[in-house]
Amino acid sequence: MRREDVRPLLARAVQDLPDPDLADSAWASGLSVRRSRRRTGVVVTILVVLMLAVTSVVVAVNGPPFGLTPPEEVPSHPPGFVPPAGQIAGMDFWIAPRGGSEPYLNRMVTPIGGELDYPKDPAPLKEQPVEEIAAVVLARDGDTFRPLLLASTAGWSEVEVDLAAIATGAPLSAGSVAPTGRLVAFPQPGAVVVVDSTQALVRRITVPDRDVRSVSWLGDSAQLLVSGLRSTYRVSVEEATSTPIQASVDPAAATAPYRLDGVTGQVVLMRSTPRGWTADRPVELPVGSWAGQTFTSGNVAARVFVADELPQVETVASRPQVVAAISAVDSVPSRLLVLGETPPATPAPSGPQAPVAVRERDCCAVLGWYDSETVLFQVTGWILAWSLESGQVRRVAELEVPMVALGPGLRG
Amino acid sequence: MEAGGWMRDTIDPDFASYVDARQGRWLRTATLVYGDRTRAEVQLLHAFSRLALVWERQDDPDVFVQRLLYQPALSRRRRLKAVPTDDTTLTALAALSAVQRTVFVLLYYEELTEFEIADLLSLSQPAVHGHGQTALSRFRSELGLGDWRNPAAQR
Repeated sequence: MRREDVRPLLARAVQDLPDPDLADSAWASGLSVRRSRRRTGVVVTILVVLMLAVTSVVVAVNGPPFGLTPPEEVPSHPPGFVPPAGQIAGMDFWIAPRGGSEPYLNRMVTPIGGELDYPKDPAPLKEQPVEEIAAVVLARDGDTFRPLLLASTAGWSEVEVDLAAIATGAPLSAGSVAPTGRLVAFPQPGAVVVVDSTQALVRRITVPDRDVRSVSWLGDSAQLLVSGLRSTYRVSVEEATSTPIQASVDPAAATAPYRLDGVTGQVVLMRSTPRGWTADRPVELPVGSWAGQTFTSGNVAARVFVADELPQVETVASRPQVVAAISAVDSVPSRLLVLGETPPATPAPSGPQAPVAVRERDCCAVLGWYDSETVLFQVTGWILAWSLESGQVRRVAELEVPMVALGPGLRG
Repeated sequence: MEAGGWMRDTIDPDFASYVDARQGRWLRTATLVYGDRTRAEVQLLHAFSRLALVWERQDDPDVFVQRLLYQPALSRRRRLKAVPTDDTTLTALAALSAVQRTVFVLLYYEELTEFEIADLLSLSQPAVHGHGQTALSRFRSELGLGDWRNPAAQR
């Protein structure tokens, strides 16, 4: 039997079937289904409306069901609030996330991105001016260093100026970004180099002392404090003049409008004056030494210190370092963030055991403020952000460069 | 159907013409697929009723009706054995599985392509091809004509 024989065979099997007459009954059946669906829709709608009405009446009479009551008070803590670990000298303190846990912290999004590394092909500053500086890093160029500016738009520009290295070959300082975000200053032997990032202008202002190590901007973004081991100068950028003021033992301490300085028993918050500094209020802190500069936002000054003795936080192999956010006014509390050690995952059966990681001396420093409530600071390999309101520490970026200066452009 | 989607109470003349032109052929095809004229007529009436609901909105009524007509034959719930009959062709068809019978009838009686059948029954074209080949072979065997793929066995 061939394939073409199949159809006649099948046709013969059903050839005697009479033609049905389904048109009228199909239409009538469709009509009936349509009416039935419409009736069901109306009934469901009525039931839903009735249920809603009954529910609203019950809620109005008895209050919300299931014992749920709307909160009467506004929550006093911000989202993500972390309770303080205790108090040191009457100040609330928090314990920072352990070293090594930084990749797992919540991230704060900034123009830096997830990692701060040297850019591959930065544009010359003259071709790509920077309106607001987010970060400054120094790239080695032979025996000198070239500043690379990260704009708030996340573009990199290279400044055509050579900065001298110190005897060890490292750069003298990562520099300091002015509060306007348009100027950045670098200390150099016997001078300070100021870069205007919007016009790609470089100005070299000489100071009498060759041994200057630190620069810090005043709030007006027109004057600088340039400090060395033996002298400190107030430098006017516009007039290119320098005026000697009260010298500091610690060059990094010379900051304005506030500076945190002194060791245990003599720690004091000082306020900047035209001739130097005046003590604002004593601070009871167990300070062994200070690290980095003081950065101020409003009435709160932040700086890292290495603690002398801190019974509240146990350490085995290192001294705890602490980010201190000290308030100059009574209405705003002072707060501390302790950068401790990373103990081993499995505790020793008896006695103290060497920690897995410690935060080494000079590893950590305050880098600035993200906003009036958030301190930015550096730990080994990371830039972190500490919210004073919530106590929460977030990661900003992983550091692939040895030093960095941050500017207001970080807010994007 | 009136504007706004409401069905008119009296039958649409276009719908009546459409059904009149196709009901005889599809009833025969469905009878071969289901092996029972009554079941085929119930299924065809159901398909036309559903078409009446969407008559003016349906772009391809043929495919709409044929899907409703033949897909239930493949459903496990509705798959019933063909009614016993004296007709050797219908008896041979009844020996095929539901899916083989449906593909076989659509392929050789309705003369649809494998792609059209695949679309109607929601099967792949290779699956339709395989079912068609098996069904033809088994149909021939049931009629006592041997396996068509083995020339030596052919009479």
